[in-house]
Parts: sequence; C-alpha cells; structure tokens
Amino acid sequence: MVTQELTSPVAAPPRRRPKRPRDGRAAALYLAPAGILLAAILAYPIYQLILISFYDYGQPQAAGTAPLVFIGFDNYAELLDSVTFWTVLAKTVGFAGACVVGSLIVGTGLAVLSTRVRALPRMLLFLAALGAWSTPAMAGSYVWLFLFDTDFGLVNEILNAIGFTSMAHHSWTFGTFGAFGLVAAEVIWCSFPFVMVTMYAALQGVPDEVVEAAQLDGASSWRTTWSILLPMVRPLLMIATIQSIIWDFKVFTQIYVMTSGGGVAGRNLVLNVYAYQQAFAGQEYGLGAAIGVVMTVLLLSITGLYVRSQRRSDSWL
Amino acid sequence: MRTRHFVAGLAVLALAVGCAPAQSGPAAAGGDEKTGTVRVWLFDEANRAPKEAVVKTAITEFKAAHAGVEVDVQWIPVEGRADKFSGAFNDPSNAPDVAEFGNTDVASYAATKALADLTGDLSAWKEGTDIIPSVLDTAKADGKTYGLPWYTGIRALYYRTDIFTELGLKPPATLAELIDSARKIRAAKPDLYGISVGGKYTYAMLPFLWASGGELAKSDGAKWTSTVDSDQAKAGVTAYANLLKDDICPPASCANLTGTQSVQAFSGGKAGMTIGGDFNHKAIEQGTVKGKYAVVPIPGTTAGSIAPAFAGGNLLGVFNATKHRGLGTEFIELLGGAKYQDKMYTAMGNLPTLGSVQQKLAASDPFLKPFVDTLKAGTKFVPATPAWSKIDSQNVLPTAVQQIATGGKDANAALADAVAAMNKAFGG
Amino acid sequence: MAVIAARRRKVKKPGRLVAEIVTVVIAGLVAFPLYWMVLSALKPTGEIQSANPRPWTFSPSFDSFERVLTVSGFGRFFLNSVMVAVAVVVLSLLFSFLAAVALTRFNFKGRTVLLVMLLVAQMVPIEALTIPLFFLMRSVGDVAPAFGLNELGSLVLVHLAFSLPFAIWMLRGFVAAVPVELEEAAKLDGASRLRFTWQILFPLVAPGLVAISVLAFIHAWNDFLFAKTFIISKTENQTLPQAILVFFKPEDTDWGAVMASSTLMTIPVLVFFVLVQRKLVSGMAGAVKG
Repeated sequence: MVTQELTSPVAAPPRRRPKRPRDGRAAALYLAPAGILLAAILAYPIYQLILISFYDYGQPQAAGTAPLVFIGFDNYAELLDSVTFWTVLAKTVGFAGACVVGSLIVGTGLAVLSTRVRALPRMLLFLAALGAWSTPAMAGSYVWLFLFDTDFGLVNEILNAIGFTSMAHHSWTFGTFGAFGLVAAEVIWCSFPFVMVTMYAALQGVPDEVVEAAQLDGASSWRTTWSILLPMVRPLLMIATIQSIIWDFKVFTQIYVMTSGGGVAGRNLVLNVYAYQQAFAGQEYGLGAAIGVVMTVLLLSITGLYVRSQRRSDSWL
Repeated sequence: MRTRHFVAGLAVLALAVGCAPAQSGPAAAGGDEKTGTVRVWLFDEANRAPKEAVVKTAITEFKAAHAGVEVDVQWIPVEGRADKFSGAFNDPSNAPDVAEFGNTDVASYAATKALADLTGDLSAWKEGTDIIPSVLDTAKADGKTYGLPWYTGIRALYYRTDIFTELGLKPPATLAELIDSARKIRAAKPDLYGISVGGKYTYAMLPFLWASGGELAKSDGAKWTSTVDSDQAKAGVTAYANLLKDDICPPASCANLTGTQSVQAFSGGKAGMTIGGDFNHKAIEQGTVKGKYAVVPIPGTTAGSIAPAFAGGNLLGVFNATKHRGLGTEFIELLGGAKYQDKMYTAMGNLPTLGSVQQKLAASDPFLKPFVDTLKAGTKFVPATPAWSKIDSQNVLPTAVQQIATGGKDANAALADAVAAMNKAFGG
Repeated sequence: MAVIAARRRKVKKPGRLVAEIVTVVIAGLVAFPLYWMVLSALKPTGEIQSANPRPWTFSPSFDSFERVLTVSGFGRFFLNSVMVAVAVVVLSLLFSFLAAVALTRFNFKGRTVLLVMLLVAQMVPIEALTIPLFFLMRSVGDVAPAFGLNELGSLVLVHLAFSLPFAIWMLRGFVAAVPVELEEAAKLDGASRLRFTWQILFPLVAPGLVAISVLAFIHAWNDFLFAKTFIISKTENQTLPQAILVFFKPEDTDWGAVMASSTLMTIPVLVFFVLVQRKLVSGMAGAVKG
C-alpha cells in the first residue's frame, strides 16, 4: 500500500534538488554501465551507419574484396531522385499515422471501458490484449492472413453465409486501401495493448476526488473526460503516442508478410520494406544506410512537431 | 578489469577504423590439411530426415576412406540463408569448408571471392564429363565454375486430367492453345482458375518470354544490357500478364501470387492447370488433386516445340578460406557423384544433374519424363551477374507483370521502367 | 483503494452491464486470432487451409507440436532463448535503474541532451544497424571472446542496448514519482546515498521494473534478426526463433508446425505476463511525471 501511494502518478511534481557540486561525478558513476554500453553498442554503430551511407558499400566491400569508394551524397541523391521513394514516403506517413491514431483510440477507449466494469470482464480483456501483444509479429501476420484468405478464409466464409455473397471470394490484400487497412488492423491489434495498459494505469492514477468534485459541480461525463481527465493523463498519453509513432513508422514484418513484400506492383510499400527491397536484400548496404538515416531524421521531425504541438511540452523533459 | 579491457579494446578499434566504415580483411589463404573436421552447410528442409540419412551414409563412407577426418554438418534454413552467407563472407574465420547454395546466388557469391574456383577440379573428376552442360553453365560466373551441380529444378505444366477429359480438352501443344484451354476451363467452371500462376512467379513467366524469342539481357562481354523491351520479350511478357485476367486467373487473387502459392492453389483443387517443378511433386501428391493430374512440358509457340525452362537447382561449393581444400572437394565429389545423386532422388525426389543417372531414372519413373524432356529441349538461365540478385530482390519483373495485368501501366511503359531498373542494377 | 473503487462503481451503475457485455465481446474478438493460431496448430495437415474453414476441429492432433518438439536441439534452443532473455532482463533492470536515478535525481550538465539522444536511438531502423553491429561484435570477440560473434553474449549485448533507451525513459518517470522528501528523511537518519538508492528507492520503483522487464523479455525473446546474423556457425548457440524458420520452405511451408511453434513461443511470454499483470498496470502508472 505504501508503494502504491508513493508511486502514484500524481505525486507532487518532483522538486529539483538543490544543486550539489558532487552530482556530476556521482551521475557519471550511475550512468556508466548504461552509458558505456549504449555508446559502444548503439552510438558507435550509428556513427558507422552514417559513414557507410557516404560510401558505395555492398557485400564485396563488406567482405573486404573490393575497395571502398567514397561517393559523398550519391546514395542520398539516388534516393531523393526516385519518384517511388516519395510515393512510399507519403504512403508510410498515411499508413503509420492511421496505425498510431487507431491504436491510441482503441487503446484509450478500452482503457476507459476497463475502468467502468468489474474485475472479471476486465481480466478477460487484459488477458486477450496481453496475448495479442506477446504473439511474435510473424505468427500474428500469418494468422490474420489465414483468417482473411480469399478462398480459404473464415471471414469471407462468414460474410458469404450471412448474406454478403459478393464477398465470397473477395481479396482483402489486392486493393491498395484494402491491403493497407487489413495490415493496419493487425498492427493495431498487436500495438493497442501497450496503449491500453498505459492509459488504464494513468486513469487509475487520477484521484477519485477530482472526478467527483467535477461531477458535483455539474460537469457532464463528456466534459469531465475532456477537460479534467485528459490534462491529468497527458504525460502518459504523450509517452504512449511517441512510442506508437516510433514503432508504427518502423513496421516491417506485418507489411512484408501480409502483402507479400509490398503488395501488387509495390503499391503497399512502406519505408522499412522499401529499404529492405531496394537495399538490404540486394546487399546494397550504403543505400540502406542512407535510407536509415533519412528515416531517423523523418521520425525525429514528426516527434518534434508532435511535442511542439503540445502546450505543456516544456515540462515534458 | 573486464570493463577496462573492453574500453581499451574499443579505443584501439576506433583508432584502427578511423574514418572509414568497417570492412572485413581479405580472407586468409586456405590450406590443404588432410585431417581434422570438415564443416559442411546444407539446406535444412521441413522434412529433412531422408536427406539427413543419405548424407549420413555418405559421411560414413567418407570417413572410412579418410582416417582422422570428421564431418560436421550444419543445417541452414533456406529462409535465413542470406544472413548466414553474409556472415560467412564477412567473417571468414567462421565460414564452413563446404556449402550447398542455389545457382541463382552463384554470381553474387562469386563477387565476394569467398568461393573456390572448382573449374580444374571438376574437369579432373571422372564423373565431371557426365554433368549436363546446360546445368553446369548455371554454376559459372565469369567463365569459372564455383559449384558442383547437386540437383536441378525444372518446371513443367501440371494439368487436371479429370477436367480436361470432362471438357474434351487435349494437353496444349502450343502456348496459344494453353491460353485458350485456360479460358475454356474458367468459362465452364467459374470456381476454378484456368491456370494458377502469379505476378510474383517470375520462373513461370520466363518460359513465355523465352518461347517468344525474347531475352532478359544481353552481354557484350563487359557489360549487361536489359532487353526485356524487345518486341519478342514484350509479346511473351504480355501473353503471361494476360493470364492474370478475370477470364483466366482474376488479378484480385492472382496478381500477387508467388510460385509456392500458385502451386498450392492447384494442389488444393482450385485450378485447371499450373506451372510447377519436379520438386513440387510431393506437395501436390498430398493435396486433393492426387491421382487426377498429369504433367507435360510447357509448350512453345509452335506445335511440338517445348518452351525453354529456367534451370534452377542447387550446387555444392568449397570456400576459399577452407583449411581442407582437398578434403572438401573430395567430399562434394562423393555427395554429388552418381551413387548419391541416385540416393538423393529416392529420398527427396531431387532431379539429378548427371546425364547417365537422369536417363536411368527417367526410364524407370514416368513422372520424370516431361521434366527430362524439357531439360533436353534446352534450358535457359538468368543473367550470370551479381546484379541479378538485386533485380530479383527489387521485384523489377513482377512489378512490370503486375502493372500490365492490373492495367496500371501499358506494356511499353511498364517494360521501359523495368529496363531502366535493370540497367541501373547492371551499373549502366 | 477498494472502497473508493466500489464507490465509483455505484455512481456508474446504469449501463454497466452493457459495458461488461461489450468488454467480453471485444475480449473475444481480440483473442480470436490467438485461438485460430492454436487451432491451426491442432488441426490435421489437410484441414489447415481448406475451402471450408471451420472454427473447430473434430480430429485434433498433436502431430504439429510433435514435429516442432522433435526438431533436433529444440530443448537446447529453448534454454538458450531463456538464458539470453533472463540475462537481458536482469541487466537492463540494473543498468536502467542506475541511469534513471542519475537522470532524475542528479543535477548535471547535458541531462536533456542525453534524454533526447535516448529517444533518437530508438528511431534508427534496426535492420540498417546489423552490418555495423556485425563488425563491432567481431572486434568485441577479439577482446572478450564470450561476447563475440557466434556466442550468446553478443545477443545479450545487442538486446540490452536496444532495450535500455526505452527502459530508462520509462523508469525515469517512476523514480521521479518518489518524493524527494523521502530521500532527505533517509539522509537525516544517516543513510548514505548508495544505501538509500538500493534499500529504499529500488524496492519503491518495483512496479516500474516489472513493466520494463516484460518489454525487455518480449524484445529478446522474439528476436529473429540478430540471432540469425550473429550466430553464424555454432549450431548449439542458436535461439528458439531459428527453430521456426526451419518450417518455412520456399516451396512447401509447414503451416501446422509454424503455428505450433508460434504457440509454444507465445506461452512463456503469456505466463510471464499473467504473473506480473497486476504489477504491470500499477507499474505503468508510475511512469507518469507531472
């Protein structure tokens, strides 16, 4: 119980502790294990990645049997010159945006629902959600494909049986929007649980007194949610949103498996699959690195824009 | 202490690497030790027990002939092979001595200089002259042979005998007849695809392209140039793309099918015909169409001719960095020799690459006849350049076929794009 | 807490039954693909993809499970996966806790920069990093053989590196939620900073540690990419996802076995989840920072 209270999310905002001269050294000590590891295993490879993006770097170069050729921004130029890249970029933003919004709405909605039901139904929902969350991406994608298969799928069979005979041999993965929609549904299926669990926790943390006071003042349920609860859970909502943006923009397995490598004539490609197809599958690591850098910059700008758009962004870090 | 070592190591590393991306050093020169462990990579398969049994027999025989030699086999999943081989190329100290690999990968593997040139070894081998020349060509890059052909994959036309009898159709003698029969089947039985083929099934498209007289690319010795926009190639690709229409194989279902999926549709009783390999035999036998199908070669444009098929298959190669150059070569000559090719056929149904074994088997197993006939009529191969694996992974040809089939682009525009993408990969 | 919850429920009683029915229906829908996965694993081969799909089977068979469990080395792969996942979980808890304390409790220059860098690190596509990481691990192997290529140590290192940024981010919120007064009180009692950190702070953020451990576990457990890139030739060091790849043949994928192995892969994570479910939720709540 003590733990509960002390870690309660609405605990008073931590005061900056008074400045102490020894903090620098102590901080360095505490940061050392994570810091050294991250510098070595993450920062250094990222530095290498940027270097590689300026070279003509393929399998022979990696194996050391061909000379390294510095080509400056050629990899980037090749990428930015390609019409396909821009189409793919636009589709990625649309697709990932839909996934982010979808997971946030479904996750938050179900979190709100969970606070209004008794323990048993809530337990069932959480179990199902956690199951979806822990399924390996590859397995999840294949199961969804099975269910929505044109000829052998249960969904078409049911639709046909209840009267939608035109759906008997409907192909869910053929149309651009149909395929994106199906994949987005699968992505939301396995990513809403994170949002739901986070937002449920956030809602649990709101003191009942606050809600009751608002209701006593005659605020409607909608108003209570919108103007009282939302600001209070905003910090966690922000974490959930940022993580969803980062994860959903990097979706690979689901698109790759469910649209068998990017859809008919590549119309369901997203950036990560495009990078794989154009670069990594053909061992064009230089170009792949350039795509990786561009993607990181893109994600950084989107996250930055999002953070900017939030009023309380200053208190976020 | 460990941390300090680690940091020190990193510092040394950073200094050594300086400002250039990391690279592997050139592979150390190999050796020719006569004892020790020969490490072998073979492809894993879902049902690998029969394959493993044959390989084990071969190992026993090999060990009996070579005292003090062990053979260690590692089974590599086909799906994850690219990472495995990249790993072996980038870190030769972890590379095996001997490996099985697909013949479409030869050119790109050869470019890493990680594979040993076996040209001399195979011409000195007594069974070497028995290897079917067109199959041996698929093991070559820049005129050198990098692998011993272990088995071949050839595709032919599977068709439903019950449906053909019911509709009074005869096995097609020309490509035009094939298209016509497919349309008739679909018209009479709207639940079935006339022929199940797919936009991603490049190896089913190639016979159409080659039969019409087209070629994927031509080489002037130094550089490859794509020729898929020639009139002949265009006619072939268009004919194939036109199979993916509502009156044969509706694009909504078929435009994105791969080879596996096309064959699955046939074995599940969803299609009147399909293009499948000798290696698909087992899967089709397990499907609902068992006993209701037959196989003929894919016909050419004129009656009685056979369309050139793609000669797929797997090879056995030796790594350059091996310390057991002689032993490794001897081992692949044993495993790839007549005795074990015969055993592998019995175990796995793999079509042998040695002419004598093939003839013997074709005489005793009628199922093999159409495949052997196709092989005899002449097969073709994809351009032997590392660029091919890039063109393949970028889906250049499937994209063109899909664009034509779905009306996204006309044949001229789609193939012009394909030519541009291919030439870029060739380095043009 | 329970009393308050009960009171709140009373306020919302009308419509609660409807809400509960909706909840159960949604739970069923969410769980359905999982059910289908297990069902496909139990169906006999011919039924998995048939023209008349049925959400049940009258002849359940454990053949698919048997094919998976008899893959040679399955036990070994399973053990390897567990060892890697556990090592990653323990180390990431330890490292991220220390870093989170430093980032919230200490004043030093460059704090914000560090936090932003942690976020950026999560944005780099992992696939693009495999080649640089491969060469790095090869060099690491020269210095510390147990962490080089082909060894499970290399997997622990990379998974740790990829789990830490998110873990530190999350844990920062939990540490921040512990009132500073507590530390000052402890100090007055004569506790050193080190003692406070380990004996008081560490147990207090336990729910957060649980949340992070689950995420780190999933991350390490489900990884295909690094396992197949780094473990080049030592078969005995492969992890579980490798065992699944065997069933994907280009010409004839064994769907029953794929579904059976996916089921087997999911179960340990699910068990881990169920065990910590309660703590997970309160754990997430701690990540809030005003």
